[in-house]
Amino acid sequence: MTSKRQRQFYVFCVAPSLAVLAVITLLPALYLLATSFTPLNLTRPETQWDFSSPLISYGQLLSDDRLANSVWVQIKLSFWTVSLQLLIGLGLALLLNVKSRLLEALRTVFLIPMVLPPIVVAIIWKVIYTPDISPMHGIFRAIGWNVPALITNPDWALTSIIIADTWEWFPFTMLMVLAALQMMPQELLDAAKVDGASPWQLTRHVTLPFIQGVLLVAGLFRLIDSIKAFPLIYILTDGGPGSLTEVTNYYSFLQAFNFSYLGFSSAITVVLLAATIVLSWIIIRAVGWGVRVD
Amino acid sequence: MSTRKSDRVLMQALAVVLALLALSPFLWLLVMSFKTNDEIFHWPPRLFFAATLDNYAALWTTDFRGSFANSLVVSVVSTIVSLVIGVPAAYALSRWQSRSGATITLWILASRMAPPIAFTIPYFLAYRYLELLDTLAGLIVIYLTFNLSLVIWMMRPFYDQLPRALEEAAWIDGATMWQGFTRIILPLSGPGLAATAILCFLFAWNDFFFALILTRTEAMTAPVAVVNFMNYEGWEWGRIAAGGTMIMLPVLVFSFVVRRYLVSGLTGGAIKG
Repeated sequence: MTSKRQRQFYVFCVAPSLAVLAVITLLPALYLLATSFTPLNLTRPETQWDFSSPLISYGQLLSDDRLANSVWVQIKLSFWTVSLQLLIGLGLALLLNVKSRLLEALRTVFLIPMVLPPIVVAIIWKVIYTPDISPMHGIFRAIGWNVPALITNPDWALTSIIIADTWEWFPFTMLMVLAALQMMPQELLDAAKVDGASPWQLTRHVTLPFIQGVLLVAGLFRLIDSIKAFPLIYILTDGGPGSLTEVTNYYSFLQAFNFSYLGFSSAITVVLLAATIVLSWIIIRAVGWGVRVD
Repeated sequence: MSTRKSDRVLMQALAVVLALLALSPFLWLLVMSFKTNDEIFHWPPRLFFAATLDNYAALWTTDFRGSFANSLVVSVVSTIVSLVIGVPAAYALSRWQSRSGATITLWILASRMAPPIAFTIPYFLAYRYLELLDTLAGLIVIYLTFNLSLVIWMMRPFYDQLPRALEEAAWIDGATMWQGFTRIILPLSGPGLAATAILCFLFAWNDFFFALILTRTEAMTAPVAVVNFMNYEGWEWGRIAAGGTMIMLPVLVFSFVVRRYLVSGLTGGAIKG
């Protein structure tokens, strides 16, 4: 029951935010879409508003092998990082979900990789992957292994990115699973225990079904974020060697800001953005927002 | 869970070992920032070495100081602007049941989730005409794209939990709706506001991509400045480590303060931690 006066007040409160959001997010998104219909190349200013063949960039998308490669790299990176983060996060959450002062303190400690500025994470791993100063390579040498620099090695470059990214974000899945575990009704566990369930059965048949929704949402969030992977790749491998670690987002960045092909880059980005919006929509459905009834 | 005592000890020991293992890369960088260059290349590393603040002192004589100040200004201003615009909206959206709620929800979530390059290309082009490239104002505006959405996300569930009876009582006593909001609701929002403000600050402070592309020299932020140590001045590992440490210091302190709110901040309220 909202009176007219109330509605006026709410509109007055919401309007500035919506107006600002429209100018800073909607307008740029439309501008991006418009640019994607032009062959804009910064070195040739006349291409800025050239809509004579609007779908030229989209046509190029389909025939660009380097783009196809970047999508494949993206799929590998997303698959491995999201899976590893879910596994490690779940394992740690189960380990730490015990009432104990020590373990509660450790929960906070485990969060550190996630809250570090991404650029600092990239620097940390640059140190680890640089043989001259790396403690990891020091240990390898000490036990007699001759390990080449991983980030310049074609066999290991993507794996080294996956390791660093997993390290940065496993706390996120851990935190979400912990939050869900704490909402788990005690009666559920007690009932299973009365029936004589072993700890393993308890985890497998009671805990896991209870948290699978959270795992799905955490996985989706990580999936969307993995599309944005940038600082690690920029600092560690620069997309190389060759284009073995060049994900789509990175390829789009190179096209736009190294090669000046903003039109083509916009077309790639429009597709990325569309994928993001679809995934966000799936999250909203999964969580059940928008059907909220108070 | 009722586990046997020996199991409990074993689990705790395992957790401690894993925590040390997980933190070792981070600790290594921290320690490195206090080492001289000779010490950094020394193997095996000495546990007790003569710690030095030289890296920090050297860092402070470079342009890094200005970049650090830029980072502070941009993060603080974008946080304040986001709060001023976003908090009333969060309150109204919480109280006002409207059919367009789901659309606004998707819009806000999508702006938070969009790959940064989707905004960078149009902003870069527009800023060339508006002469906002390499300015603090330009960065502040683009940081609103994620921070304004974050404020609405964080504060709306917070207001959902405050009973309506609070402001309704004030209205009956003759207060206007605006007074009900500023005198009754806002003073109760302290903890939520603080947590939201810190998260906004952190997201702006942590940004690398936008600053990399939209700044050159004048408005360069600390994360970009540190990376420049890698590119142009040879491999000054000590200085790079010191710079990295200075960037992460405020982050670690603030994160510890708001650790309870981290989940809802990162997932836009999907799950309240």
